[in-house]
Amino acid sequence: MAPSGLKAVVGEKILNGVIKSVKKDGEWKVLIVDHMSMRILSSCCKMSDILAEGVTIVEDINKRREPISSLEAIYLISPVEKSVHALINDFKDAAFTYKAAHIFFTDTCPDGLFTEIGRARVAKVIKTLKEINVAFLPYEAQVFSLDDPNSLYSFYSSKPNKDKDKMIENLAEQIATLCDTLKEYPAIRYRKGPEDNARLADEVYQRLTAHKADNPSMGEGADKARSQLLIVDRGFDPISPILHELTFQAMAYDLLDIKQDIYTYQTTGIGNSNDREVLLDEDDELWVQLRHMHIADVTKKVTELLRTFCESKRMCTDNANLKDLSQMLKKMPQYQKELSMYSTHLHLAEACMKTFKGSLDKLCEVEQDLAMGANAEGEPLKDAMKSIVPVLLNNEIGAYEKIRIILLYIFHKKRGIGEENLAKLIQHANIQADSNIITNLQNLGCNIIAGGRNAEQTLPERRERTESTYQLSRWAPIIKDVMENAIEDKLDRKQWPFICDPAPINTTQTAVSSARFGHWHKNKSPTEYRSGPRLIIFVIGGVSQSEMRSAYEVTRATDGKWEVLIGSSHILTPTSFLNDLKSLDQVPNPDC
Amino acid sequence: MRDRLRHLHQVQSDSEGLSSVEHDHLSVHEAATASSPPDPYLYGVLQEAQQIRLEIQQIQNEISELKDANYQALNKISHPAETERDSNAIGVAIKHRGEAVLQRLHMMSALRAELEARRGSSDPTERIAQTQYQCLSNALREVMISYNDTEMSHREACKQQIQRQMEVVGREVGEEDLEEMMESGELNVFSTQVEGKTARSAFLQTESRQKEVLELEKRIEGIQELFLDVAVLTEEQGGAVENIQKSVQNTEVIIQDAVVQLDRATTFDKSNPFKKLFCCCSFDHCKIL
Repeated sequence: MAPSGLKAVVGEKILNGVIKSVKKDGEWKVLIVDHMSMRILSSCCKMSDILAEGVTIVEDINKRREPISSLEAIYLISPVEKSVHALINDFKDAAFTYKAAHIFFTDTCPDGLFTEIGRARVAKVIKTLKEINVAFLPYEAQVFSLDDPNSLYSFYSSKPNKDKDKMIENLAEQIATLCDTLKEYPAIRYRKGPEDNARLADEVYQRLTAHKADNPSMGEGADKARSQLLIVDRGFDPISPILHELTFQAMAYDLLDIKQDIYTYQTTGIGNSNDREVLLDEDDELWVQLRHMHIADVTKKVTELLRTFCESKRMCTDNANLKDLSQMLKKMPQYQKELSMYSTHLHLAEACMKTFKGSLDKLCEVEQDLAMGANAEGEPLKDAMKSIVPVLLNNEIGAYEKIRIILLYIFHKKRGIGEENLAKLIQHANIQADSNIITNLQNLGCNIIAGGRNAEQTLPERRERTESTYQLSRWAPIIKDVMENAIEDKLDRKQWPFICDPAPINTTQTAVSSARFGHWHKNKSPTEYRSGPRLIIFVIGGVSQSEMRSAYEVTRATDGKWEVLIGSSHILTPTSFLNDLKSLDQVPNPDC
Repeated sequence: MRDRLRHLHQVQSDSEGLSSVEHDHLSVHEAATASSPPDPYLYGVLQEAQQIRLEIQQIQNEISELKDANYQALNKISHPAETERDSNAIGVAIKHRGEAVLQRLHMMSALRAELEARRGSSDPTERIAQTQYQCLSNALREVMISYNDTEMSHREACKQQIQRQMEVVGREVGEEDLEEMMESGELNVFSTQVEGKTARSAFLQTESRQKEVLELEKRIEGIQELFLDVAVLTEEQGGAVENIQKSVQNTEVIIQDAVVQLDRATTFDKSNPFKKLFCCCSFDHCKIL
């Protein structure tokens, strides 16, 4: 099943606009990428996709490459000094590294670098030079990332950041390319409070307007006038990134060691390999089906699907070991793909449950009660301290788990806690080494110490939720409320001001055609053309898996009328978030 | 998407007015490309890859042909035209072509290993061979899956026809019972009741379909080993082979190691007392790599 949404839109733009556009029958090309463009490319194209369009090898621009002078090169790079200089160097000496160059910048190339290229030898062999305006990663169909894990530090570190202005400009440009790619010209809003929210929103507005001048079709269409872009800071909901979630994707990324979306596990296959590596992405249809499901439903569903599959292929299976592929594979190797898929998810679910059953079940109960302020029956929590002390004193529970509990306790208290109390908790938990994680949250504007830095900050009022949930999954991310309110046009204008007053919503406009462009949309690819409005949310400092899930849930609830996209500089796991917080009061490692 | 080629030419012509040396540059470039001969292995690898690709495409074409042949067998009892092959013949052709492609892939893998041994794993030709090999292996697997799917749909279609024919003679059979009957070959169970033109026709059709299914299953059985070999091939390459980031980063690690070793070699070399005495340009020698 082909991916849909963001991945499809960007994948199509790159495959058609870049690779196919310079394809010549019978001629192979080399594709050169830098770090950012490689990440973008990798998230929406596969090796076989680009091979099918005449690319025979992908190289990293920043490493020394052997010349392949008989082939032309496609450079898909960001317009930054390092990459541009590497490009120029490829054609500096007498022997050119490649036969010719087709250059595609991810976004606007600054004048200085452009002139450098024009003056260098490489200019003589440049056959193509375009700016594709894609400077973000389509992580999922409705999730984007700007691939900057240092963002939390850049925004919220205790040391002043002198490059902050430049950084905000770059960020704004990246967000603008997202809107450009989706042909959206949304009304921009930001959460009132932190200065950075307003600054970023303003910058995005300026970039967006510049893009629209070059690309007037952005935002065209009656419904598009309702699209909105919301800028929000991480400190607005500090609970969601630290809570233990029990949905498949969030749980797996929290409890297991999954790097770069690759899950590794041991199994017996048909060959000799024991280690299987699987990429968890949208090409895995089963992953798309399961990722937002509660773990209790996952194992049940996969087992049921596997059994049905085996029956339909008349594979006799004994209940003994569904995960043991080798027997089934030997009998029917033509079903290797499907069987591997089932095996992967069975293993993944089992691994999650194993880690969970250790000590997490009790922990999750306490966490949910603290986050909701009430127990599963709806009775308000009377003595929170009583429930957390046993956890803090338990030596088998890890430091980070204890910190998460302490933080949830502090947020439950709404007005922060006294310094003495905090010190006592830290002592009980024996987490002195990591205690700065707690205090550093104040940099995000959270109310930690009663009467301290952020004394007036409180978490927002919550919407009433009546849908039935599992007992250990009662919490819904605060952003979900915001999404629903924005869609229903109930989002308070004082708390979420517009950068620029939006045009009044004209409900009488029906014909979707523009005087200048006629029925421009009829020629668009189906993935790009979405007549309905979009709600795009950008979180400064990282987005959590549960918030990503909310985007899909809210979209589904509108019956497809709205599409909610959410993204940030990077995707958080509870561990990575706590690690980021830990380093906020330190000097950055110059080697990173 | 913004095209800036014209802008580039403008900048070029502005700067060219300042320098009169670019004619030399051009001829130097021509000389340069002429002097470094293209790697013959590279040409060979790309050619072979293209040939294999064409063979796989040919298998896909034969699968389409098979679809037609199966369809014809299902809808007419008469023999197909002289020039058209029957399903069995196509099945044999697909099997042989698939086996041949697999052989060629093994040879490509061997060549790649040889290149790696001789030139190191940072050699571009070796890496191009690797990429092509991995993608072609996947393509072969996909085409074999397509073959399997085609045969399985035909099997289903035959089964449904048998079921319908049995209903015609008033004998309703459930899915599972039908499967059992097909597997045991006991469809002649109702042959004793064959009376009248309709029943007779139904019986003939059923017999025909059953023969189809048996031949189909024999074809699949015959190609089982090829399925297994292709599955082993792709499994050995690992699941994340299609991931571009992995493909680019793997090579990075190798280069970094090489650079580290290079640096070490330079340091050891520098401290070589003989070199110190005679001041050789060993450092430059290492740099060329």
